Amino acid sequence: MASAEPVRLLIAAMGGEGGGVLAGWITNAAVASGLAVQRTSIPGVAQRTGATTYYLEIMREPGAARPVLALNPAPGRVDVLVATELLEAARMVQAGFVTPDRTLLLASTHRVFTIGEKTAMADGRLDPERLLAAAGRFAKKAVLADFAAVAEAAKSPLNAVLLGALAATEALPLPADALRAAIRADGKAVEANLRGFEAGLAASAAAPPLPGGEGAGVRGDGLSGEGEPPHPLASRVGLSPPGRGVAAASVSDIETPLDRLPPEAAALAREGVRRLADYQDEAYARLYLDRLARCAALTADALFLKELARHLAVRMSVEDTIRVAQLKLREARLARVRAEAKAGASDIVHVIEFLKPGPEEILGILPVGLARPLLAFVERRGWMHLAWPMKVRTTSLSGFLRLKLLASLRCIRPRSLRFAEEEAWIARWLGLAEQALAIDPAAAREVVETAGLVKGYGETYRRGHANWRLIVEAVVEPMLAGALPRKSFADAVLQARLAALADPEGERLAQVVDSIRRLADPPALAAE
Amino acid sequence: MSEVSFAKEIESLRLGAGETFHGEGILAVTKALLQSGVAYVGGYQGAPVSHLLDVLVQAEDLLSGLGIHLETCTNEAAAAAMLGASINYPVRGAVTWKSIVGTNVAADALSNLASAGVVGGALIVVGEDYGEGASVIQERTHAFALKSSLWLLDPRPELPTIVRMVEKGFELSEASSTPVMMELRIRACHVFGAFEAKDNLSAAHSSKNRFAEPAKFEYARLSHPPATFVQEADKVSRRLPAAHRFIVEHKLNDRLGPDEGEVGIVVQGGMFNALNGRLAEAGLSDAFGDVRLPTLVLNVTHPPVPEEIAGFCAGKRAVLIVEEGAPDFIEQAIGQILRKADLQTKLHGKDVLPMAGEYTPLVLARGLDAFLSLYGAAPEPLRAWIASVAAHQAALQKEFEAPLPPRPPSFCTGCPERPVFSAMKLLRQETGPVHVAADIGCHAFATFAPFSQGNSILGYGMSLASAAAVAGVQARRPISVMGDGGFWHNGLLTGVAGAVFNQGDGVLVIMNNGYSSATGVQDIPSSAREEHGRGSGLDIEKALRSLGVTWVRRVRTYGVAKVLATLKEAMTTPEKGLKVIVADGECQLARQRRIRPALARAAAAGERVVRTRFWIDPEVCTGDHSCIRLSGCPSLTVKPSEDPLRADPIAHVNNDCVGCGLCGEVSHAAQLCPSFAQIDVVQNPSRWDRFKARLTDWLLRRGAAAPAPMVPAE
Repeated sequence: MASAEPVRLLIAAMGGEGGGVLAGWITNAAVASGLAVQRTSIPGVAQRTGATTYYLEIMREPGAARPVLALNPAPGRVDVLVATELLEAARMVQAGFVTPDRTLLLASTHRVFTIGEKTAMADGRLDPERLLAAAGRFAKKAVLADFAAVAEAAKSPLNAVLLGALAATEALPLPADALRAAIRADGKAVEANLRGFEAGLAASAAAPPLPGGEGAGVRGDGLSGEGEPPHPLASRVGLSPPGRGVAAASVSDIETPLDRLPPEAAALAREGVRRLADYQDEAYARLYLDRLARCAALTADALFLKELARHLAVRMSVEDTIRVAQLKLREARLARVRAEAKAGASDIVHVIEFLKPGPEEILGILPVGLARPLLAFVERRGWMHLAWPMKVRTTSLSGFLRLKLLASLRCIRPRSLRFAEEEAWIARWLGLAEQALAIDPAAAREVVETAGLVKGYGETYRRGHANWRLIVEAVVEPMLAGALPRKSFADAVLQARLAALADPEGERLAQVVDSIRRLADPPALAAE
Repeated sequence: MSEVSFAKEIESLRLGAGETFHGEGILAVTKALLQSGVAYVGGYQGAPVSHLLDVLVQAEDLLSGLGIHLETCTNEAAAAAMLGASINYPVRGAVTWKSIVGTNVAADALSNLASAGVVGGALIVVGEDYGEGASVIQERTHAFALKSSLWLLDPRPELPTIVRMVEKGFELSEASSTPVMMELRIRACHVFGAFEAKDNLSAAHSSKNRFAEPAKFEYARLSHPPATFVQEADKVSRRLPAAHRFIVEHKLNDRLGPDEGEVGIVVQGGMFNALNGRLAEAGLSDAFGDVRLPTLVLNVTHPPVPEEIAGFCAGKRAVLIVEEGAPDFIEQAIGQILRKADLQTKLHGKDVLPMAGEYTPLVLARGLDAFLSLYGAAPEPLRAWIASVAAHQAALQKEFEAPLPPRPPSFCTGCPERPVFSAMKLLRQETGPVHVAADIGCHAFATFAPFSQGNSILGYGMSLASAAAVAGVQARRPISVMGDGGFWHNGLLTGVAGAVFNQGDGVLVIMNNGYSSATGVQDIPSSAREEHGRGSGLDIEKALRSLGVTWVRRVRTYGVAKVLATLKEAMTTPEKGLKVIVADGECQLARQRRIRPALARAAAAGERVVRTRFWIDPEVCTGDHSCIRLSGCPSLTVKPSEDPLRADPIAHVNNDCVGCGLCGEVSHAAQLCPSFAQIDVVQNPSRWDRFKARLTDWLLRRGAAAPAPMVPAE
């Protein structure tokens, strides 16, 4: 009687990923093996790059009678679930298609981020650990591994790798050879697909399925972000982390005050010193440490000092025109570009930078006394929106020299308008943080975190600045002045910061600031 | 030129008697048409029936051998009107389209066709795009069958039945002088299965054996009064009884399970497999469809045969009607039959099953359980399954506190339409919100994040017409977006001619990507003439000017700054009348399919090939993702920052990038940030390339901190 039940297989994929081809290979292998099989899908325009599924039912044994196979998967009645990506695996689990009594879950654990995750103004990514735990928990058996990395290493499509991995589980009534034959019979990119099949087979066979439930495990390194190669690129192309160009001796020379910081803050501060010595010079790095030391004298709050060390270093190394030129001339950059673009050994690679400096970027380099009147003039003439779109080929002599010239302006940076403006901002921000420390350490931490709102270039930078000013003037300063109830100081700043990151139009921030302002007028009853 | 090559599928269309056909449902329909001796085939593309035409377009040899005339119609009305050939001539013909939208467009011709009636079998294959995966409104084709007196087939979703219904459909059509529709749901169109093939048939009269003379003038064949009064009566007095007789004599409906029983089920053919799955779960059937309840499977859902229905229901306490979608047409019809036959069999359907929405396994199981429980036959195994699903859902709810983020469809990597919406988003930032009349086609993806624009969708090619009154009550000019597919399908007359005629003052953006891309990259009248294509290179701009549109601008879609400037001009120009922007950019799917193999061949042959892609400088990107909010390209994504001092992920271009250039254009148009760089990889560089590169390397090395060489040391 067991043979009367088909094996039911559900494939979750994204439009254009080859899920249909994968389902086709399995179907054709079943037909060739004399097994009754039915496959269906819901492709079409509605799934272009979106989430979609393919459903198959395969009889376990050959037979004369024609089965009546279902067109829709039923929850709790799926024997094998293949997902090409972690979120899609979790989506199928959430839909009830993965159950502990029967489902083998085979999923690649890499992430392809959704548009919502990508457009967030800060970090909108889902917690991969939670997705992974959820994916494994409800399966009878789970094979969870980064098959995208396997595919990348094998230079093969992901669907072929998953077919190999599926063959290794022996969950289908189809031997590996039948599946190999299906790839061959298809006649398209046979070599690459077979290579992927074998790689998937080996990756999956090397580690038999783990039982599901609590603590369902992951193969190998498990998680990797979208677009991240399986092997750290850095070691392959000799890439050094940003700013490693500074001589070690000079850094250690100014590191002594780091000892006074808690370990995590000290680690970040060490990075900060390295970055700022590269950005400007040792004296500038020392200024950074002095500022940290002054705050460290006021508090031992490890979290506060850690975030201060982080944000202060980033804010002090603001990406002005000089910095951008400097970064674009990094020695290791082209090697990295070559590797990421998968350039062959004999290929020539050109890099063309898209730059569009406006009056603020260009005049910001000039000394304050010169830049201010010029900017005022430009503003009076209504030219502030003008900008010069340019494409600079850094792999050509002229492009290289132009950026080199810009980068060499580092020596005059401390006298530049942009530098002066940034210093003024930092002083104001540090001042607010120090004042907040005296009232509520939690609030001080939140004040420090607001620095994360100010980032980017052009319009993004101006919007970040405007949001920050609004939060300072409507929340932080009234709190410090006692005009708003201080017990909600930390929470108010946190809510305002999150609201500023909710939408670029500033609608949410306006609402939150409005409700915080109303805290100043408590209801009449409470006042009595 | 279609999305894929159908060489293998075409081979399976040539199969003859004694061979087994393997393939998808819609291809089986195509094969069945050939086995039925059709003289002509036509239609308009749309999921899930596009492949019927796509395959035939590539099967020219096969068709000419059989003398079949193929027409890729400009819209569904044209396809329906094409069936007019069967009014006067004893030739079989079939047309296809996506329903309900296509049937709506075809309605005028369908009414007239149905009134006149046919002498040659006429079959309309409609993709019933309903439920999961559907991309249109949820309405039933059944309503059209009722109002126009067309017969409606809804075969069991397995190839032998589908094929038999196509063949019998033609006979039914001829026996009752009535056009027949066959509805296939999405999953039925794409279901893979097998059937025993027959030889293809040449029609008695076709392009190979033409009628020497046209049909005689016969006023009665015109749908024109007074003939229509006679036709109206003929529909019910002659055609309907003839259809009833044919359905019963040829056993088009399946009578399954035992003859006798307390209760029985009447089910739409298309829903049978889903029902069988739940009956098997209840222990009332098995994987081979051996149902243990009396079951009447309606492969013909209209017309119901009163004797057949009454005969099935007689002697039963109750019947359950399994009928997906609203309204409950079949249930109403059966109720009337029972009442007139004075049968006291209790009628259930939408009381235990939901009135609207897709009948998924769980929905069906709940309805079946409720029905059987009323008659003391509660199916314990089915109940246990429903309970286990509920328990599992409760456990899931604890694990997943919130729904997972959706993954809606989107523009492909490098899509030429995306830049236009980037420009429209930038326009919105400058001028404030603008009313956008959206349309059907890939460009409707702009209604999703990150563009989130579009105030209405009224139908294919209808955007401009739908903005006509809006323009009269808005301070700013509304923008209508239309694809080139929609333009030829309907927009040219309904929209453009209407706007010129009424001196409209709106803005129309026409996405000229060269194909009807959303339905699978089919040729349209303005597609370029190519060896294997059906495009005839009609010029949209000329068509516009000939209608009297004076303000026409052509822009290359990828030039975002230019598109933005042109949009601004269209919005603000004092010139009255319709402003049309033709946005040119070939469908990237089609383009990549053409150039990728060519480039690979060239590179392999040692020719100089320049491959372009974009790249984001990870040290310069600060992680605000403004670029993604203006683009949404699948290959523009995020990755963790390598900078220990930065917590937010940074933007990143993955290797799917096709180098369309939008990233650079957006960063220029919006003055975004200096992180974007274009990477040109020169494969098989020429001597001149190498010489230049070496010279530059040498010169750069003379300066300090020179970058790594473009040509690695050997």
